[in-house]
Amino acid sequence: MSYATDLPTTSEFGQVPGTPQGSPAEAVHWTRKPWFVNALAVAILLVVWQYLHSVNGRVPSIDEVVSFLGVELGGGSHGGVSRGEFWGPLSISLQRYAIGLAIGIPVGGLLGLLIGGSRRFRSVLNDTVLVLLVLPSVVWAFAASLWFGIGSTAPVVAVVLTAVPFMAVNLSSGIRGLDPGLALMSDAFRVPRLRRATHLLVGGALSNAVTGVRLAFMTSWNSLLIVEWFGTASGVGWRAKHWYDAQRFEGFVAWILLFVVFITLLDWLVLRRLEHRSTRWQQQPTLTFAEGEIA
Amino acid sequence: MAYDTSVTPDAVADLSAREIRRSVMGRWGLRAGVVIGWMAFIGVWYVFSGAVLGTQQLPPPHTVAAEVWQVVTGDGFGTTLWASLFRVIVGCTMALSASIVLGMVIAYSAWWRGLLGILTRFFVSIPTVALAILALILFGASGLGPMLTAALVATPYVMSSVAQGLTRVDRRLIVMSESFGRTRSQIITGVLLPSSVLAVIGGARQAFALAWRITLLTEVFASSDGVGFQIKRSFESYDVRGLLAWTALFIGLMFIFENFVFRQLERRAFGGAHVSLATAESTR
Amino acid sequence: MATILIENLTKVYPPTPTYPQQVQALGGVSMSVTGNVFVAVLGPSGSGKTTLLNIVAGVEEPTAGAVRVVQDGVPAQVGYVFQEPRLLPWRSVLDNMLYVQNRKSDRSKREAEFYLSMVGLSDVAHLYPAQLSAGMQQRVGIARAFLVNPDVLLMDEPFSHMDALTGRSLRDYLQRIWAHTRKTALFVTHDVGEAVELADRILMLRPGGVVFDDIPVNLPRPRRPDDAAVHAVETEVLRRFDSMEAAVRFGDQRN
Repeated sequence: MSYATDLPTTSEFGQVPGTPQGSPAEAVHWTRKPWFVNALAVAILLVVWQYLHSVNGRVPSIDEVVSFLGVELGGGSHGGVSRGEFWGPLSISLQRYAIGLAIGIPVGGLLGLLIGGSRRFRSVLNDTVLVLLVLPSVVWAFAASLWFGIGSTAPVVAVVLTAVPFMAVNLSSGIRGLDPGLALMSDAFRVPRLRRATHLLVGGALSNAVTGVRLAFMTSWNSLLIVEWFGTASGVGWRAKHWYDAQRFEGFVAWILLFVVFITLLDWLVLRRLEHRSTRWQQQPTLTFAEGEIA
Repeated sequence: MAYDTSVTPDAVADLSAREIRRSVMGRWGLRAGVVIGWMAFIGVWYVFSGAVLGTQQLPPPHTVAAEVWQVVTGDGFGTTLWASLFRVIVGCTMALSASIVLGMVIAYSAWWRGLLGILTRFFVSIPTVALAILALILFGASGLGPMLTAALVATPYVMSSVAQGLTRVDRRLIVMSESFGRTRSQIITGVLLPSSVLAVIGGARQAFALAWRITLLTEVFASSDGVGFQIKRSFESYDVRGLLAWTALFIGLMFIFENFVFRQLERRAFGGAHVSLATAESTR
Repeated sequence: MATILIENLTKVYPPTPTYPQQVQALGGVSMSVTGNVFVAVLGPSGSGKTTLLNIVAGVEEPTAGAVRVVQDGVPAQVGYVFQEPRLLPWRSVLDNMLYVQNRKSDRSKREAEFYLSMVGLSDVAHLYPAQLSAGMQQRVGIARAFLVNPDVLLMDEPFSHMDALTGRSLRDYLQRIWAHTRKTALFVTHDVGEAVELADRILMLRPGGVVFDDIPVNLPRPRRPDDAAVHAVETEVLRRFDSMEAAVRFGDQRN
């Protein structure tokens, strides 16, 4: 089985290598300016939303969702006895998410290092990791909540188990893609194991590792929400389910928007920067002076 | 001559036999590693079910295997499987056809690449579980939800890999075609599509893997049949055995498709793309 | 004093799925090199030159035979210059130098900078390899090999990927830095002119990895490729290659 190649790498979006990236700013027509394209995308999404609302009464309208968001974020009254809650569920979920990732990413990274760096470890561990990778997150979510009940253990375990294979597979495939000549060079110079692991393996596969981290963040957020939806009585997933069960779909959609905002912020503020740093060496302009100049 | 350095042919044959033995033993060592890996996997499973979680919480492998057998030979297995498979195939086909068109658009137009980039970034940041529930709100418990969700989720990923495959096409061929005055559509059908067959197959494979996962998830929420529905029913009746049995079946299915469908397709495409007698013979 | 002792070294590659025929890379090579000598190993493609260097460097196992590379009775430190630069693309030039340095001290960095200055690259120490031209990258490779203070220097056609003019200027760098350190050197090449210009002794290999000749080059240094004396040795080396080929062909007809 080779699912490693099937992995979606979100870094591929928006940039396709080998194609020109646009002309100088002064030559750009206003329809090609980034703000216009951004605004157009948002407008398309809003129009589609409003259209869905008009054809299907169960889809809430935009202003319903916006006013609901105001109440939920501000802690005001939703009418009747229920009050807005935002920071409470969010901080519980973020704790679970952070603990799960703090365990899952290092463990997955270590596994990836072993599988990528040694043929023996690879032959032993590869299939297990692939089975973990193929397992749908909903199965993890169900199993974890059956095993650990409604506390915080189930969501944390689900986050760990989702993050580990993504991290391991990405890092190990990055390591296996390294130039074998560099390993031979390190052999010839008798470079010690530890330095080789940090400079050659991790250094070379850093961009893959970051892709792994990104996917681990994305997919384990999803698993967390599923566990919270089915198996807990706290957290953001539970909150979304609460409004769904109460047939308040504007509440449910409002929470989906919050999920999107969360992931987008995470992506912009943390993951994209990490990715940029890890690929810095590929982005440097090449010096173009002649060979004999210094000689 | 400074040294007498010749080696007799017999000696070389002996030495070569030693090298061959060494490499074969290396290969068997790796195979043994795979067996050890599976034994360890099953062993850990037994330990967890016996000593950590209990056989009620985590049934041992042989119980799950028996359950798999029961599910496969029982009533309604074919119907359940077909319900999911049908959705996967339809969703996958929709995703793939949309991706080929959109992939071509974004490979050759910077403007569309910008616009679709923003839209896809929005869609991939919606947790799939939220999409599954939206499907439930929009379509109720019908088969339409899983199909459309699968197509919607798979499209951005497949689109970008198809676009990447297209941009790797040898640009000199396009320049050559243009210099002979070929039209845009002639270039697309004559150069781009043939040389990106592999990218499209890769995309199909990706679409299939993604569509399965999303279909399964959406069936959990918004369906009354299919593999996902069975998994959910097992969960709701605290039937870990059934949950694991359906999961094992799902993994087995993925394995079969990966090895028997897509690998064959790829082999065939390779045979067609690099026409040589050797590959043409071997694909038969 | 460093010694390279090679006895009846043989390497046979078993057939693989991609190349279903066994290949004899080395067929019983024996030689010994002692002291501050620059030895060129000269041969066409397929004469096992790279395999020989890899085995001497200890990164490949021989099928039969033995290699000992010692310095005063203990295993010698080896410096290796590869055919391609083989730098870590994600590390700066200076970090690439430090990557191979095993005896770390406060002077490590200064030593690295010194050898970079020997190849004229002081100004680019902070750049990434991809920002340098191919010739500059190979100069980093040469500086790196000298940095580990090697007892034995191994070089595998380091200039074969360069254009002729770049190769010439790099040979000058190599001569200069070698004259400074005078390490025992094993230099693999298929270029007769290069071998004569650099080496004290030329070991000639034929396909199948068999040594068929071994001639000394007693010419004063520094040598220029256009010297008449260098030319004379080149002609002699080529003559011996021709007679070897004739002998092999004649042998074939007799069988």
